Amino acid sequence: MELIKHNPNIDFIKYRKVAVFGSLAVNLFVLILLVVRGLNMGVDFAGGSELEAHFTKSVTATDVRKAVESAGFKEPQVQEYGSPEEHAFLIRIGKLSIVTPEQATQVESAVKSALGADLADYRFDPDQGDKFEVKTKGGADGKSAPDDKALRAAIEGHGVGVMGVNVTREPNGQGFDVEISTSGVATKLEAAFQKLNGTDGASANPANEVIRRIDYVGPQVGKELRNRGIMAVIYAMVSILLYVFFRFDFRFAPGGVVALVHDVIVVLGYYVISHREFNLIAVSVLLTIVGYSINDTIVVYDRIRENMAKLRGKDFPTIINVSINETLSRTILTSGATALSLIGLLFFSVGSIWDFAMAMMVGIITGTYSSIYIASPVTIWLEEQFGRHSHLTGSSGNQKTAAA
Amino acid sequence: MDRAWWAKVLMIVGIAALAIWYLIPTYFYFKLPPDVRNDPEVLQKALPSWAPSAKHKLNLGLDLQGGIHLVMRVDVDKALRTKTETRTEQIKSTLKEKNIAGAEAKALPDDLRVQLTFANADSAKQAEKILSDYYQDMHVASGSDTSVLMAFNDQDIKRAKTDAVDQAVKTIRNRVDQFGVAEPEIAKRGADSISIELPGLKDPERVKDLIGTTAQLQFKIVDDDNAGAANLFSDVQLPPGTTLCARSNHCANAENVPYLQGPDRKALEQLTQGKAPEGDEIALEKDESPGQAPTYRTYLLKSKTEATGENLIDAHAALDQTGGGRPYVSFEWNPVGAQDFERLTENNIRHRMAIILDNAVMSAPVIQSKISAHGQITLGANKDYNTLLTEAQDLSLVLKSGALPAPVTIGEERTVGASLGEELISRGWKSCALGILLVVIFMALYYKMTGVIADLALVLNALLVLAVMALFNSTLSLPGIAGFVLTLGIAVDANVLINERIREETRAGRTPRGAVEQGYGRAFWTIFDAHVTSLIAGFVLRQYGTGPVRGFATTLIIGILASLFTSIVVTRVCVDYLLKNVFAKKISV
Repeated sequence: MELIKHNPNIDFIKYRKVAVFGSLAVNLFVLILLVVRGLNMGVDFAGGSELEAHFTKSVTATDVRKAVESAGFKEPQVQEYGSPEEHAFLIRIGKLSIVTPEQATQVESAVKSALGADLADYRFDPDQGDKFEVKTKGGADGKSAPDDKALRAAIEGHGVGVMGVNVTREPNGQGFDVEISTSGVATKLEAAFQKLNGTDGASANPANEVIRRIDYVGPQVGKELRNRGIMAVIYAMVSILLYVFFRFDFRFAPGGVVALVHDVIVVLGYYVISHREFNLIAVSVLLTIVGYSINDTIVVYDRIRENMAKLRGKDFPTIINVSINETLSRTILTSGATALSLIGLLFFSVGSIWDFAMAMMVGIITGTYSSIYIASPVTIWLEEQFGRHSHLTGSSGNQKTAAA
Repeated sequence: MDRAWWAKVLMIVGIAALAIWYLIPTYFYFKLPPDVRNDPEVLQKALPSWAPSAKHKLNLGLDLQGGIHLVMRVDVDKALRTKTETRTEQIKSTLKEKNIAGAEAKALPDDLRVQLTFANADSAKQAEKILSDYYQDMHVASGSDTSVLMAFNDQDIKRAKTDAVDQAVKTIRNRVDQFGVAEPEIAKRGADSISIELPGLKDPERVKDLIGTTAQLQFKIVDDDNAGAANLFSDVQLPPGTTLCARSNHCANAENVPYLQGPDRKALEQLTQGKAPEGDEIALEKDESPGQAPTYRTYLLKSKTEATGENLIDAHAALDQTGGGRPYVSFEWNPVGAQDFERLTENNIRHRMAIILDNAVMSAPVIQSKISAHGQITLGANKDYNTLLTEAQDLSLVLKSGALPAPVTIGEERTVGASLGEELISRGWKSCALGILLVVIFMALYYKMTGVIADLALVLNALLVLAVMALFNSTLSLPGIAGFVLTLGIAVDANVLINERIREETRAGRTPRGAVEQGYGRAFWTIFDAHVTSLIAGFVLRQYGTGPVRGFATTLIIGILASLFTSIVVTRVCVDYLLKNVFAKKISV
């Protein structure tokens, strides 16, 4: 069986300038979008909220996930928690500030009116979810705790539901720390969970609440790990550059790396444009594409090297064209085969695995494209500027090297 | 077929058999029901006697199976109190350096303040200025002519709390990483808690101990010369079982300073409260003899901490060459620590040095001579070899990863389900299988006979990767699967390269044998270059990446090495055979 006629003679190189400029434009577009819109950083990188939910009947993780999504939270992470009889789940959702600015002001005035002169400090950070941090002086002697019930009543009187008021003594003995969590997130989810549990419509008895606890949860990959990861990728690219330089020629190396960078940006672009969650799985996809892209590029380079020896006398762009044509069937086949293995995932999976497969597909397509339309043009350009074979490029080239 | 060919076949069959053999524990592991299979003993029992040990099995990451969920609370208040005490010592040295005479500093840990008294008003003023400059995170709370009260700024107290938890997260991550539980999930939760998820562990006791140990290592001098301590415990009411050993009551093992011995640790702690003379403190050492309940004894120590574990560079379990091969912990100082230690040992020859871990005396050897770079900690004298070895290893691990900034307590401990979701996983496996099947069929259709051979190589490749992972007890998680997919893609690519070459050569008019020779020959260097480049990327990622990135890199490296073997050697062996018999006239490619 043959899919590609065995002696294609497509002129790829003719369109190289168009292709390079087109790719450059796309990359620039993605980078601008990255800055302006940003990635949808998952809980792994940005932290989020963690809830503990206890149901009174048997429900599956899928049901819980659907309930959370119906309340408007995308792509939650749902885990069974404890033994099966507990019907409990641990749920993680992305960072969301549920408290609207109006509600925040309401809480502020409620706290100020309730505590009066006892208020020492008031802090609200929207990035931390819906927790308010208040410090009190602790009365005249610094040791009288504020009335948490009154505080709760005051805030609810201003129209904001309260999940909990937590009072702790300051470590230096002067005054108290009050942590107020409002129930923005909780109310929406609680309603959805009650429905799932079949207890909606029952009286609002705190004992029947499904959600037992909500906490802010920090990122898996803090700044330090993230930076280490980025350094790892950069070191990997440098090592690749060195190896290609050593095995082929210095003019080939930059092309390969530029193609790699291009591919990474395009896949990032997929995440920016689709606004799918960028988490540790996304990072694995990027790494896979790096490996795939360089593999592809090297195969083309190898053929070019072989033809440079075989086709002396032909000019450089022609050599490259011939090489690309010769490797075309192999390139399409390998991409095709890898794409085939992902098709199953695309059609039958959902959620993170689907994201994984989709991003990989994008990466494979761009990986193939970049070997032809990025790596080769860059190499040709470098050859024109600096090469030994510049007399082959057919351009004016550098008079000095032509004479050498 | 010639001998070289048979040799290759034998080698391939041998390797394949070895791979299958090493996958046996994994097979049984997956056959067991999920709630018992993580127990290593249960697994070992389920294995036939000729199978390899149960520890050679493939692990699943947290995203693919469940595990243990621990929540630890960091005692930030204690961290702040310790900070106050350390700061007091620092203030003392600073004032000494600046020649402020007659200064006395006292830590008030409950209020997070430092009380300073001076000989005269001038010194007080000078000190105020100097300390305000030096210690930006403190301010003067109040003062009179000759006294100054320094307190920490509120802002900095808050930051210190957050820092303590962040530091604890880092240290715990270090320890879990070193322990080898692959790919845990560790994150800060709320203001002062840390949530830790570990895949698959059935009995987390050892890991909990590891995580929960504060691991504060201190070195103090035993105060053996304190003349005033002769009557140390003379007026103490001894509970039953507790004895006082002193020269005054002619105890057989009496030392210069009297000490108490007994089985009840709490009782001893209570008895010794406040009994230490000025500048000293009393600590306990645990003594365990096999088959008997542990006993404790007191030591009178000089309060000053001469050296701490902060400056340890390395610690590892070692065997005592002279003492019959008993395990102990050998540690090494960095230059600063070495200097401190040298000074300590030089000035205290023939005194006893107490090695204190988390406020308990581990041992108190006599300093024979000046020591600088290395030291050792002997563990409880009378336990059996294996217990000692595990203890030594765990202790080394914990010392190496650094001390926790504050004590941690385990708040919650539950099992959790897979983070990816059971349903997603089963779907994932099915679609993966479908994908691989599609590739296999495609290769067979497109390249016919050689395609089928390539498929065989692919299967062997997958087997090898899984077997090596099982051998090293590696963990497979979604990123690892991504690496696996990449490996299979590269492996397929290698065979496509070879087959395309063979086709080219056949078209050019070569005989089947010639085409095969040329095909493999020419393609080899292409495959080699491409594989090595990916391999380099894999090694770099493994070196500098953490967690999932590492998992990905490991699978990639193993896969590429296996592919170099299967795509080239294995397929060649098959093709050579077929050349003799089936392909003689025309090669099916």
